[in-house]
Amino acid sequence: MSVETFVTDKAGLVKFYEAIMAGHETYAPVEKFGKFDFKQVKSLSACDPESPIAKTQSIKPLFFPRSAKVMKYVATSAGTDVSEVDEDPLAVNRVIIGAKHCDARALQVLDKVYNWDYIDTDYQKRRENTVIISTRCDKADTHCFCTSLDYDVENMNAMDILVVNGSDGKIYIKSRTEKGSKLLNSDVTRHASRVPEAAAAPELKKQYDSFAASFRLKMDYKEVNAKLSKIFDTPEFDSVSGNCVSCNTCAFVCPTCHCFKISDEKVRDTGVRYKSYDSCNNGYFTLMAGGHNPRPAKYRRWRQRAMHKFVYYKERFGENLCVGCGKCTIACPVNISIFEVVNQVAEGNRQ
Amino acid sequence: METLLVPMICKVDKVIQETPDIRTYRLKFREEGMMEKFKYLPGQFVEFSLLGSGECTFCIASSGTRKGYFDCSIKKAGVVTADIHTSLEEGDEVGIRGPFGNWFPLDDIKGKNLLFVGGGIGLAPLRSLIQYCIDNRTDYKDFTILYGARTSADMCYKDEIKEWQDNKSLKVMLTIDKPEETWTSNVGVVPKILEDVVKPVIANTKVITCGPPIMIKYTIQSLIKLGFADKDIITTLEMKMQCGLGKCGRCNIGSTYVCKDGPVFTNEQLKSLPDEF
Repeated sequence: MSVETFVTDKAGLVKFYEAIMAGHETYAPVEKFGKFDFKQVKSLSACDPESPIAKTQSIKPLFFPRSAKVMKYVATSAGTDVSEVDEDPLAVNRVIIGAKHCDARALQVLDKVYNWDYIDTDYQKRRENTVIISTRCDKADTHCFCTSLDYDVENMNAMDILVVNGSDGKIYIKSRTEKGSKLLNSDVTRHASRVPEAAAAPELKKQYDSFAASFRLKMDYKEVNAKLSKIFDTPEFDSVSGNCVSCNTCAFVCPTCHCFKISDEKVRDTGVRYKSYDSCNNGYFTLMAGGHNPRPAKYRRWRQRAMHKFVYYKERFGENLCVGCGKCTIACPVNISIFEVVNQVAEGNRQ
Repeated sequence: METLLVPMICKVDKVIQETPDIRTYRLKFREEGMMEKFKYLPGQFVEFSLLGSGECTFCIASSGTRKGYFDCSIKKAGVVTADIHTSLEEGDEVGIRGPFGNWFPLDDIKGKNLLFVGGGIGLAPLRSLIQYCIDNRTDYKDFTILYGARTSADMCYKDEIKEWQDNKSLKVMLTIDKPEETWTSNVGVVPKILEDVVKPVIANTKVITCGPPIMIKYTIQSLIKLGFADKDIITTLEMKMQCGLGKCGRCNIGSTYVCKDGPVFTNEQLKSLPDEF
């Protein structure tokens, strides 16, 4: 793959984004009630590609909608007509700007589950048709711990194009995938200067080092993986989950949680089927008709949540099902932190 | 995924009221030629939609060796199954996705003695394999079926059980929990009859069992006590499932997807899973 590197300044970056918006369907963080969510935008004034990480929703809903109609059906005297819903609005060619590194990385984690066995072709099409531009954070937020996990935040190719604010006041734009190179080789970079990859490297490294030094939270994920994998029955899960009100918000804001439910709704003779986010924290998640429930207690559901993220998914797909974004902790109404949960459980069982 | 969640339409060909709370629905695909394309093996399941009410997971209760239809036996147990019982009749239409999941280890059981141990609605997945094995009877040696229900009225497939009893190549034993005036067969819970009456041959025998979780638990204990190896005890798990595609996450036991890696497991495999089923 050819790596394309450009350098520009703040005004040049604005022109870069404006050129993208002029020629492509573009999604960016849009503010509402003090929070940012990715929406389709036509102008830069409507959005903020540098929205604060702690207040920005993940890009997951652009690939896996929060609640989407799956099909429609009509019961007629001649029989039942089932039809798929209208064309998928998320499957068109599009560019996302202002994605956070952790959210871009989360999609690589999700690719594993969506592409094993039955291929989720809808998800795959959305992935293929999207170019992700991600600005590297300058500073970690209170609940961030991406650099403590099993991925290379500095060099990963989870985003197609990387944007870095250099300490020299310059802005560096660099492709990380073929799709990214193709976009940078179009006229969207006409206000930036092409530079050799090596010329940008020292400033990129410097920015990363300063970012990496700003983390409050640090953990040894290998140690946590190893310890949790040996634990199943422990009272620690009860003590760490005691305050949980089972609102499921943590799962709904998580960029890697992917559990969903299928529900049918009918008004008179017409109905729709929805696919919507669900969570293993729900008491009814595994409840069967007839009353049998393998996870009837809250500590069991929290164990599933923690173990799925740090043991089971890793066993099955080779990745942690957590990118260290801190969104669950920020959103939690009772201040439960996944970072603390897995560390406390692992620690509590230290021999 | 969205596309994979859209079902095919089947017509209800026949409804059989098996017990006061179990009905068997005999289904045929509405679309011409679809029935022939619908290939499944004993142990697999479908996602069954009563459109407007919801989608449920049911095992296929018949064998692909019986052509032109497939059966789902449904016990009234929850919201959707209650709707099915009250509103779904002959000629009505349902949505079907599948077949999903693994199947009974057909290669492993070939040439072996077979012992089926079923309880209540748990006979449904066994019936698929029983029919398959009857249709390939020469592939197997001794063929024993032990089936129990709470009362004689709660026994499924009464007519078919009579056929099995009339088939000289099968040994069929029935039991109910408490004595009834007209009942002449065994009385007692399944594990007790298994130990006291069936007294199965252990060597070269594969046991296939399904029933309520509590029955499976005690049946497996009895089988182990009798001397069966974990790998020779095969069961099929009841687990909450929705997508059937290894995506929606609710059938996970540890890193196992029951909808993909199961629902059929040997006791050896079950022992390696976290105790959460």
